[in-house]
Amino acid sequence: MRLWPRALSVRLAVMFALVSTLLLGLIGFSLYQSLQREIAWRDDQALLGRLERMHALLDDSQSIEALRSRPQLYENMLGNRDSLLWIIDDAGQRLIEINPTLMPLPVLPAAERATLGDSPSSEPLRLAWLDVTRGDRRLTLIAGKLLSEREQMLAAYRLKLWLALSVGAFLAFGFGWLVSLRGLQPVRQLAMRAAAIDVQHLHLRLDEFKDVSELQALSKALNLMLARLEDGFAQLSRFSEDLAHEMRTPLSNLIGHAQQTLARPRSVDEYQNLLVSNLEEYDRLARMIDSMLFLARTEQADASINRQLVDLHELVEQLCEYFDGTAQECAIELINKGSGTLVADPQLVRRALANLLANALRYGIPGSAVTISSSLYDGVVEISVHNLGEPIAAEHLPRLFERFYRCDPSRNQPDDSGGLGLAIVRSIMHAHGGQVRVTSTQAGTSFSLLFPLDSA
Amino acid sequence: MRILVVEDEVKTADYLSKGLGESGYRVDVALNGLDGQHLVQEHEFDLIILDVMLPGLDGWQLLQIIRRKLQTPVLFLTARDAVEDRVKGLELGADDYLVKPFSYAELLARVRTLLRRGPPREVEQFQVADLHLDLLRRKVTRNGERVTLTNKEFSLLHLLLSREGEVLSRTLIASHVWQMNFDSDTNVVDVAIRRLRAKVDDPYQLKLIHTVRGMGYMLEAQS
Repeated sequence: MRLWPRALSVRLAVMFALVSTLLLGLIGFSLYQSLQREIAWRDDQALLGRLERMHALLDDSQSIEALRSRPQLYENMLGNRDSLLWIIDDAGQRLIEINPTLMPLPVLPAAERATLGDSPSSEPLRLAWLDVTRGDRRLTLIAGKLLSEREQMLAAYRLKLWLALSVGAFLAFGFGWLVSLRGLQPVRQLAMRAAAIDVQHLHLRLDEFKDVSELQALSKALNLMLARLEDGFAQLSRFSEDLAHEMRTPLSNLIGHAQQTLARPRSVDEYQNLLVSNLEEYDRLARMIDSMLFLARTEQADASINRQLVDLHELVEQLCEYFDGTAQECAIELINKGSGTLVADPQLVRRALANLLANALRYGIPGSAVTISSSLYDGVVEISVHNLGEPIAAEHLPRLFERFYRCDPSRNQPDDSGGLGLAIVRSIMHAHGGQVRVTSTQAGTSFSLLFPLDSA
Repeated sequence: MRILVVEDEVKTADYLSKGLGESGYRVDVALNGLDGQHLVQEHEFDLIILDVMLPGLDGWQLLQIIRRKLQTPVLFLTARDAVEDRVKGLELGADDYLVKPFSYAELLARVRTLLRRGPPREVEQFQVADLHLDLLRRKVTRNGERVTLTNKEFSLLHLLLSREGEVLSRTLIASHVWQMNFDSDTNVVDVAIRRLRAKVDDPYQLKLIHTVRGMGYMLEAQS
């Protein structure tokens, strides 16, 4: 069972009610306490006053007996059921007694000065007493007040306090709820606005609630997220379009060529040529699909890569051997300046470097050199492939690693990587938590793979 | 040698049966899993080529049925090269697999390997016509004359000789000679073959390294 309500407004109202109840309770409690203390103090003062008066009466009167015969002197106490008065002599005889509730005479310690105390008897009773010497008689004056009336009054007051507190809690909950509902109105607006955004309306943005700072931060963050999504979505749909286009070209070659050949009888050689040419297109399609699958897998967040310690010089040497023949044919010298080690997936690093080397050989000037070097700085291992060649125009550089991006859309060489080579390099680097960079000037073009050391 | 092809895609089944027939194998075709099961129980085969996605009884189930009593080598074909698929196939007792689309030359090479019973012979001397390769001394002669090769050229020639008469695809060559286990779209293999030919074939009348258009390369003494 969920004890905590789901709706934020109800939660806020509950919290509001709790806080209000706590505050009201504390205030009520302290007011009650001080009231109680005040009443007790007044009662005590009244008792002491009464003792004082009795003492004065005794001093004024000739004798106790005279006093006893003139009850009007203390008549204001008579008929008052909660006031008590005793005057006792040392023999224990009650000389004067006003005791309408017939309380037993309390046994009290001697007191030279007026003393206050609670009666040990079962009824709540407050007493003040004083021992005085009258001639040769020792007298004890005792004034008392039954507390039951006070108790009743305080109990009624407590009950009122509790009632007020409960009503307050309910009211706090109700008002809190109303206030929360009203305060959360912008959140509902935000939700309504967000609900309107779907695939067709990714360009919509949420209103920025400038007057509500929390919502402003939230809507800003959501808008940034939307911008990223829109970007990714646009890239994805551009990519599907490109993919369809890329597949359409070889397919139209295949269809057209086959139809043209079948239009009339041909020699065996011509048929063979058709098949071989078809095969080349098929291969291209198959490679493209392979690359696409490879990209899709490497870009999955949980793509597992098999990290090992890689000797860079050895790895680059392998690649140099692989491209040795091709390089010699283009009269390009391959220079291996790789050194040190790297923890990475050797298959993937080899593939990334092979793509970069193939490009470097494709665009390198005959007679120049392609240099593969490595360096270590600031916790990054950098492997660079540098070639001399016509610089890549600056406007192409940021998009170079997008799938199917070609600097020259008309160029579609048979040995072209299909526009996926550099995209593969980038996704391999992302899988390693690294990145790929390119610089291109008159001094040559340089692609750098940056591997962070700590991800290893 | 008798081969069973279990494949529901008619075109694939058709060209496999034709091609393997031309290579000298006797081929039976089953177009679904149940027919395949029936044929396996009725006849004896030296190799079974099994598609995984089959109607009725799928390739995995058929493989389990086969493995209950037979040790016939099984090569499975799959369109999904997810690692789990390959692992599953090999765990169920398949001997090898190919991912569609595969090259026919590659399939033929795998079939030959699987049919070569027992462990592969460790051959140290190769002789085709007047070309001789000595693996231990790392020495190659043609017509009695010493041919000097680089390391990789030697590995390449060794590969071609050990698979004499088989068409080797560029991918297979790249992976065997340079351990490049991905489809590269460079002409590296063609260049390497060209350079090897310049040393081994060009000076001589009889050409041994042949280009099989659209498929790859093959070494054979063709008259």
